[in-house]
Amino acid sequence: MKMEVRDSDDVKILEFEGNLDTNTSPDAEEKLNDLIDNGSQKLLINFGKLNFISSAGLRILLATAKKLKGTGGNLQICDLNPTVQEVFDISGFGSILNVSNSEDEALSSF
Amino acid sequence: MTDMNETPLKPVVLAVDDTPENLDVVKGILANDYTVKAAINGQMALKIVEKSPPDIILLDIMMPGMNGYEVCEQLKADPSTRDIPVIFLTAMEQTTDEARGFELGAADYITKPVNPPILEARVRTHLALKFAMDDLQSAYAVIKKQKDRMQEELNVGRDIQMSMLPAEFPPFPDRDEFDLHAILEPAREVGGDFYDYFFVGDDEICLVVGDVSGKGVPAALFMAVAKTMLKTSAIDDPSPASIFTRVNDELSADNPASMFVTVFLALINVRTGEFRYCNAGHNPPYLLHKNRSFTCLNARHGPIIGAMPGIAYKEGMGQLAENDILYIFTDGVTEAMDTSGNLYSESRLEEFFSGIEGATSKTVSDASLKEIEKFALGAEQADDITILAYRFKQSQEDAARHVLELTLTAQLSEIQRVNHSVESFCGEAGLPANITQKLGIIFDELLNNTISYGFNDEAEHEIQIYIDYADGRVVVKVSDDGIPFNPFDQIGPDTTLSIEDREIGGLGVLLVKEMTDSQAYQRLSNKNIVTFTINTENQRPGRRA
Repeated sequence: MKMEVRDSDDVKILEFEGNLDTNTSPDAEEKLNDLIDNGSQKLLINFGKLNFISSAGLRILLATAKKLKGTGGNLQICDLNPTVQEVFDISGFGSILNVSNSEDEALSSF
Repeated sequence: MTDMNETPLKPVVLAVDDTPENLDVVKGILANDYTVKAAINGQMALKIVEKSPPDIILLDIMMPGMNGYEVCEQLKADPSTRDIPVIFLTAMEQTTDEARGFELGAADYITKPVNPPILEARVRTHLALKFAMDDLQSAYAVIKKQKDRMQEELNVGRDIQMSMLPAEFPPFPDRDEFDLHAILEPAREVGGDFYDYFFVGDDEICLVVGDVSGKGVPAALFMAVAKTMLKTSAIDDPSPASIFTRVNDELSADNPASMFVTVFLALINVRTGEFRYCNAGHNPPYLLHKNRSFTCLNARHGPIIGAMPGIAYKEGMGQLAENDILYIFTDGVTEAMDTSGNLYSESRLEEFFSGIEGATSKTVSDASLKEIEKFALGAEQADDITILAYRFKQSQEDAARHVLELTLTAQLSEIQRVNHSVESFCGEAGLPANITQKLGIIFDELLNNTISYGFNDEAEHEIQIYIDYADGRVVVKVSDDGIPFNPFDQIGPDTTLSIEDREIGGLGVLLVKEMTDSQAYQRLSNKNIVTFTINTENQRPGRRA
């Protein structure tokens, strides 16, 4: 899995490419924690290039969302493919996380 | 034909000489025991011979007109007079002339003046030789006649035998689940092999290969009866053992010639490749697998058929894998002999099998026969050679089946490898992207669970994955030898809780349950077996809430 970080004003945009699963989630979690520890409060994860996410990936999303909520920050997620959307639907993550259809829509939600 | 013992008449001697005095001398010596005819030149001699062949000819060489050599030459050139012994009778003493006379086929040579006892003795000897030769020839004629009659009987038997065999190949061109080929290479004399194949239901085929003892018409008739009985029984009896038990009882009951037959019979489900078989004293057939491996079906289920009534035959079961070939044969294959008397033998046959790959029933039969013929080159074929090959192909429908089998060691890093394999499998099978992604998620969940919590020792464990995709349905089986654990027993998470209260546990199993159409767990022989199915047609990309 590849990760890319971009800046859009004070929002850190992370792009994940590949699968967010048992083997890739530890790296992704470390990256997210680094950003939060370095003071980022607005995180946008763009899943446009993500193939699938398993519960291991959901776990780090939940942990990140909880962390940011505790410090008054905000996590936005955008551009889910149908399978990732289905995972969000089944798990209920679609309702507890902020999900947008596009990156622009997500940026305007901060 | 003249025979001294049977004809009261005296043997006839023809004396040929241009000097009447000489003829009188001969007459004087032989007239008591023989009828002596006389000719004074070659032409007259030939006329007498033509009219009534004598038993022996005494021939002068030096005669006006046609000399003795010329007369002898003509006699020897005619098949009807060739066998009459000719004794040259002449005053000439040169050895070169004697040699010429013998070259022309003369029986003997007597120089003049004639010594009466010598003439009598020579005539007697050559007549005895001639009569003995005549006897031999008539005996030979009798023997040949009888031999021809026996050969004819063998030929009739052979004709009956061959006419009983189905001989159209391929026999069922409309069936795509299998191919089938049979060869019967008859020996010149001993025989009695047969084969048969016929459908006994929509999807069940019966294969039979047998070898009847004996030869000729009786063996052929016994074979015809046995073959017919086997077919009649097989049509309404699903058990090879029961078929053999019945046919053996019937054949043994009325079998004055004490004939018998060795038979192998198999009932094969052409769709599934399952088969049941019975072997009654026959050569064990072989199962040829891919990768040049083979199995000998060496179970024997009872003795030869027809020898003794009241025998309860047993039967065996087997399963053909895709492209497996069932190779049935008679002892003419393994007992084919080379010119030094070595047998072709099972070991040469098995050596042949280990060089066979990707064969059809026809190519394997033809190649096998060719090998045997190469081995036996120059030696006379002593027994019928029969080969029947059946290849299990599966139907077109089944051919659209895609299967992936994977074994991994129980380590989290292996999940990545699984997903790569699953991705390429899905690509080859033409599965849509969302199914590929779901399988990725499901394997991540199940394997993570098993590897992290399924084993309570430090030993290395393996996990097996089997994926089968056909007819719009993916069936997946995951098995491990870990502690008994049913993942579907877990209570799922409350997905309605707010972000602060949500726990992650149980989410993976929830995903598996929701993304599959059926799930099952079994604990079988110390293994956890999780099975689930996904109907690809039911799946719509992305069920948005």
